[in-house]
Amino acid sequence: MNMRWIVLSQAAMNEHPTPSASSGQALATKIQAWRRWGTLCLLAALALHAEARTRPHYGGTLRVEMEGDAWQQNVTQAGGLGGPMARRLIFDGLTRVDLDGTVRPSLAVRWTSENSDRRWQFWLRPGVHFQDGSPLNVAVVATSLTGSCGAACPWTAVRAVGSSVVFTSDSPMPNLPTLLAGDDFSIVHFASTGADAAPQPTPLLGSFVGTGAFEAVGFSSGVLTLMANDSCWEGRPFLDKIEVTGHKSIRDQWLDLSLGRADLVEVPAEQLRQAREQRLTVVVSGPASLLTLAVADGGVLSDANLRAAIALAVDRSSLSNVIFQKQGEITASLLPAALTGYGFLFPADRDVNKARELRGGLTPPALTISTDGGAQMQLASQRIALNLREAGFNVQVAPPGPVHHADMVLLRLTLASNQPQAALESLLRGVGVGSPVVEDTSAGLYKVEREFLQTHTLVPLLYLPRAYALGGRVRDLSLSADGMPLLADVSLQDAP
Amino acid sequence: MSLRQKLLLLFSLTVALAVAAVAWTVLVRIRLVFEQRDREETALVVSQFQREFQHRSDEVAAAVDRIASREGVRSMAVQLTETGDGSPFVTEAETLAQEGQLDFLEIIGPDGKIVSSAQWPARFGYAEPAAMQPSATFMKREELPDGTTALGLFAVRPAHGADAVRLLGGKRLDQSFLADLPLAAGMQICLYNNFNSPQLSAFQQLLVKFDPERFICAAGKLANAARYQSLIDPARNTGETSSGILYLTDRREDSVSATAIPLKDESGVVLAVLTVSISRGGMVEAQQHIRAIAYGVAAGGILLAIALSLWIAARVSRPIERLASAAEEVAGGNWEVRVAEGGRDEVGVLAHSFNHMTGQLVSQRERLVQTERVAAWRELARRLAHELKNPLFPLQLTVENLVRARVLPEAEFDEVFRESTSTLGMEIANLKTIIGRFSDFSKMPKPELERVDARDVVERVRSLYEPASSATGPSNASNAEAAKIRFEVELAGEPMPLDADPELLHRALSNLVLNAMDAMPHGGTLTLSARPNGETVELRVADTGEGITPEECERLFTPYYTTKEHGTGLGLAIVQSVVADHHGTIAVESRPGAGVTFVINLLRAQDAKP
Repeated sequence: MNMRWIVLSQAAMNEHPTPSASSGQALATKIQAWRRWGTLCLLAALALHAEARTRPHYGGTLRVEMEGDAWQQNVTQAGGLGGPMARRLIFDGLTRVDLDGTVRPSLAVRWTSENSDRRWQFWLRPGVHFQDGSPLNVAVVATSLTGSCGAACPWTAVRAVGSSVVFTSDSPMPNLPTLLAGDDFSIVHFASTGADAAPQPTPLLGSFVGTGAFEAVGFSSGVLTLMANDSCWEGRPFLDKIEVTGHKSIRDQWLDLSLGRADLVEVPAEQLRQAREQRLTVVVSGPASLLTLAVADGGVLSDANLRAAIALAVDRSSLSNVIFQKQGEITASLLPAALTGYGFLFPADRDVNKARELRGGLTPPALTISTDGGAQMQLASQRIALNLREAGFNVQVAPPGPVHHADMVLLRLTLASNQPQAALESLLRGVGVGSPVVEDTSAGLYKVEREFLQTHTLVPLLYLPRAYALGGRVRDLSLSADGMPLLADVSLQDAP
Repeated sequence: MSLRQKLLLLFSLTVALAVAAVAWTVLVRIRLVFEQRDREETALVVSQFQREFQHRSDEVAAAVDRIASREGVRSMAVQLTETGDGSPFVTEAETLAQEGQLDFLEIIGPDGKIVSSAQWPARFGYAEPAAMQPSATFMKREELPDGTTALGLFAVRPAHGADAVRLLGGKRLDQSFLADLPLAAGMQICLYNNFNSPQLSAFQQLLVKFDPERFICAAGKLANAARYQSLIDPARNTGETSSGILYLTDRREDSVSATAIPLKDESGVVLAVLTVSISRGGMVEAQQHIRAIAYGVAAGGILLAIALSLWIAARVSRPIERLASAAEEVAGGNWEVRVAEGGRDEVGVLAHSFNHMTGQLVSQRERLVQTERVAAWRELARRLAHELKNPLFPLQLTVENLVRARVLPEAEFDEVFRESTSTLGMEIANLKTIIGRFSDFSKMPKPELERVDARDVVERVRSLYEPASSATGPSNASNAEAAKIRFEVELAGEPMPLDADPELLHRALSNLVLNAMDAMPHGGTLTLSARPNGETVELRVADTGEGITPEECERLFTPYYTTKEHGTGLGLAIVQSVVADHHGTIAVESRPGAGVTFVINLLRAQDAKP
């Protein structure tokens, strides 16, 4: 915004009038002097004003719209308590990861590891309170972390030791600090409500509280209201309130943005070009999610050759260039090449003949492919089905909606971290492979990744960015490593 | 079967056959006329439908043309031609198809590959050979993302300003398309999807059986789709239009006049078969109405014909029936009957002849009776003369002896006188006997009926004559020979009651037994039997004599007729009179050399009938 203002200022300067030569010299000099004086005064006023706008203002309501549900209430799933955006505003983790991949203290001020990363001890930040006023203590943290992942936790046990929390495991956990920064391990506290407390419109709303910058105070008609937490340990956020409206189509979101009824809306990767053509202010992340094809390794596809044939039959370039409008980054590896440098070692080219050869003349029964995404993911599924038909597979695309069983699932995995080792472990955990990644060198990571991909149960296809369009009054919006907007740092230009 | 019935049957059959022939001819002609009209109407409707179908094809072409002429499409085509990059337009076809109200739309780039597809958005980059179709509109089977196929009516148009870019648009030929077609009353349009797997050879495709599930109409699937198989199969297999009448149910009203039109792609493969069917319900109802009227008229005509036949048959047969009835009466003995003589036709002549014939018969009978009466008197006179002559001759001799003896001495005269008076007394007694017999015959007493058992009657006769036959035998037979007559009695075990006069019955049976004994001068067997015979009791008296001739049998019961040397000819006449007085019958059975059997049938007592 500052740069934009400067450009405007320069334009204003370029439009400075030239004095007329037909007037008298004195009059002309006087007029010119007056004009210069006026111009200087105007520039000074503008400069003072510009200086004032560089400071974020407190207050105001940020209106966010999204396609998904603003408040997911499935507490049985990791990260199911609140959408990712709301969850990050309400809850904090023991650690956090910066954009450059560095792990920073959050609710834990420091940590140490022992016994070859098999024992980790995190010391809690003192003086932190939950949004209901209850203090943060190690017991609550241990309970929250145990309940967050259940039996699938990367650690064997977590216990409170003094003002610290100790994680132990039989195998090394080199990436534990990075993993703890993930949404799955946010510290959640079951709020104590009095008998005379007003009934909550949504049962779970208010039942769980965190230490984040915002507190969920209402959810009605699909709109989640978050109020600033004045006693946040990081300090009060600039915004007073955030309203997150869910279940809005992209078209409606963009319409609301253009009419000033929304401040932050989603921009799917495939519509980035269109958003730019419409001159929307767009914020785009780096590779944030991995479009991948999960292939079942049982039943018909228990033959590894068939799975390899499927991996070879998929045409990534058509997915990237057409369906995702050249916004995707073709990949055959789990981690982006920018993070590891070895991405080129995984061939991403399509080879239908080799796929047919691997199929070996077998005509497997009809396979099904489904997706957990919207229309674009459905389109990508259809394209993959078409690719596979060319290779001799009979593939049917499951209609949108819940699918109980599918031989292949097209999904988007979030790249949780910019740190390769942690990102790989997070990705593997996302597909149910819970073993920790202990390799920290590129060669080691390549080996891990290659061994996993050779099972052909996961076919990486594209890395896609996340993008958002902003209203004119939104300031200081940045995106996290996984492309989620960091709304706690946002302020509004027209805030009082 | 009577003459009247025969005439009635003949007339009725003749008229009924004539009426049936006329009715059948009329109905066949009506059916042919209706069918001809039905064919003409069907052809007209099919022609109208084909024009409507062509109109829809033109609409598709026009819709594609409108899209191709849009400014946005033009600029897109130019950009495609210049850059060759179709990725920005991958969703364009879907939007254009919605705006153009098309079910199918594909944008084909200069390289002949799909840039954007409304029906299968993921199919970009694949070649579409149909985009090079030279014809304005054509049928095409379109594959869909869900693995199914859809039949469509397609048109190809180049984008205006950039001919290398082509638009291939179409409308789906499905249930909604059928429902959108304007239909006349009673008309139904259906579509049979002839899609088979492309892997099948042409011959294998011919072997694919008709599947009713593939047959849809505007209102959905038909319950009786299988009935259309006979029409659709020829269209599928030959690619030619086939027509016919289909009976959808067992009711004739539920029949349709259907035409199956094969819908082919450019290579001539039958993609689907469109059926245009027109209900024949109205026509069949009209036919049935006319048929009902025809049947009614025919039935009425036949009934009227039967009535007229009855009248004519009666009119024709009545004189003949009268003649037949009169003839029966004549046959029954009533020779006095006469029939009416009307008209001068053959029947009138016949009646006249009949009357003349009966007149002749009556006069001849009277003459015959007169002749027989004279003959009977003559016979009676002869018998009387013969009977009387025998005692008169001794009387005459005796009297003449007395006259001559008057001159004899008194002693001798007295002796002669005593002998003569004795002889005279004997002969006079003999004359009295003869006269008594005749008197008895003329004075047969009326039977005094009482309940008797036939067995008792027979036993009484047997007990009377069996000892006599054994002791004395017949009057004119020697004792040695008489001993040869043997009595046999055959009686039923059950009672055989009769309402009869036992004395008269005994007298009649006695006469028959005496006759039988006389008929066996050299001995033999005399059989007496009694047995039930329905409502009568049959009494038999049989001998084993020489028997009599048939001529003798006929005259046997004539009074005063006898075959015996000293018989009066009244015995059997008396027997017949007794039997007649008991309302019975008597018959004689005889063959020469086999004896004679008299059979008497008397009514069994009324309250004792079995």
